[in-house]
Amino acid sequence: MRCSAPYAAVSRALFSYDGFRRGARDGVPLALSIFAYGVGFGLVAAQAGFGVGKAVATSAAIYSGSAQLAAVNLLQTGEATLWALFATILVINARYLLFGAALQPWLWSAGPVRAYGSLLLLGDANWLMTMRKVRAGEEDRAYLAGTGAPITAGWLAGTALGAGAVSVLPRPEALGFDLMLACFAAGMMTAMVKARADLLPVAVGAGTALVVAHLFGPAPAIIAAGLAGAAVAALVHR
Amino acid sequence: MTDSFPVLLAVMASAAFLCRVAGFMLMRFVPVTPRIEAALRATPLAVMAGITALAVQAGGLAEGLALTAVVGLTLVLRSDVAAALLGVVVVAGLRWAGG
Repeated sequence: MRCSAPYAAVSRALFSYDGFRRGARDGVPLALSIFAYGVGFGLVAAQAGFGVGKAVATSAAIYSGSAQLAAVNLLQTGEATLWALFATILVINARYLLFGAALQPWLWSAGPVRAYGSLLLLGDANWLMTMRKVRAGEEDRAYLAGTGAPITAGWLAGTALGAGAVSVLPRPEALGFDLMLACFAAGMMTAMVKARADLLPVAVGAGTALVVAHLFGPAPAIIAAGLAGAAVAALVHR
Repeated sequence: MTDSFPVLLAVMASAAFLCRVAGFMLMRFVPVTPRIEAALRATPLAVMAGITALAVQAGGLAEGLALTAVVGLTLVLRSDVAAALLGVVVVAGLRWAGG
């Protein structure tokens, strides 16, 4: 009887169309910046000899701008092995280990199919947005997938446009779109600081990121910031 | 490099997928004590602070001013989304003014 329908219904967390729609609405401003990033990746991919189809396939399969740019750079050298490609993406996207771990207690209760399906749409921007909502009491697990929907559309459309129309576009930097993720990070961080104790992970995260970026480059800096903030919060917790 | 594009794509996609699900899967075996919960709650704050700090470092005066404006505007407007969008306008304006 363990798997009877009523049991499943009460043990599963809320996952509704309403939550999905709320997430999608919140994801639209982020999707604008992701669209601009997508144009940027499309431009780079086109210069590396990718056509529109290949560029869009890459954006759909990897779905991570920083990892894709590194992969295209590696492929351009002509000396990339499959292992080097695999390892590069693993290192650049190592921060997703942390993102997934932080989401797990909340997302798992939606059930495995919904949880893993939602993780496919996980990115830096909507992870930040979802974590902020979770902390503010969001119960609907469809929220994460909802935020991913407009972002995915923006990412793929941007890639196609960038790869297809290289020469006629204004540079995203001129419009300030390259700073969009950082602006959202600064805003959401400010909104999430509710108590004096919250300033500790902020200070530790910023400091760690700067030191690690200086020593090892930007790829490991973000994951180091997250780990350091988490470690300090665990240490001072009583 | 003789591998075909679908093979390259499959290798890249599997690495990206592994990163997305591995942390999530491993957390299933970690009991969520209050201490672990405090750590997980601090993680996004530290990551956001890291992203902001790196953007200021990689950028310059315009980026630093824009992100400072976002922090101030979030407190004043009580809307982080509005503040972030205004921050983009600020940096575009400052870059335009700075030539």
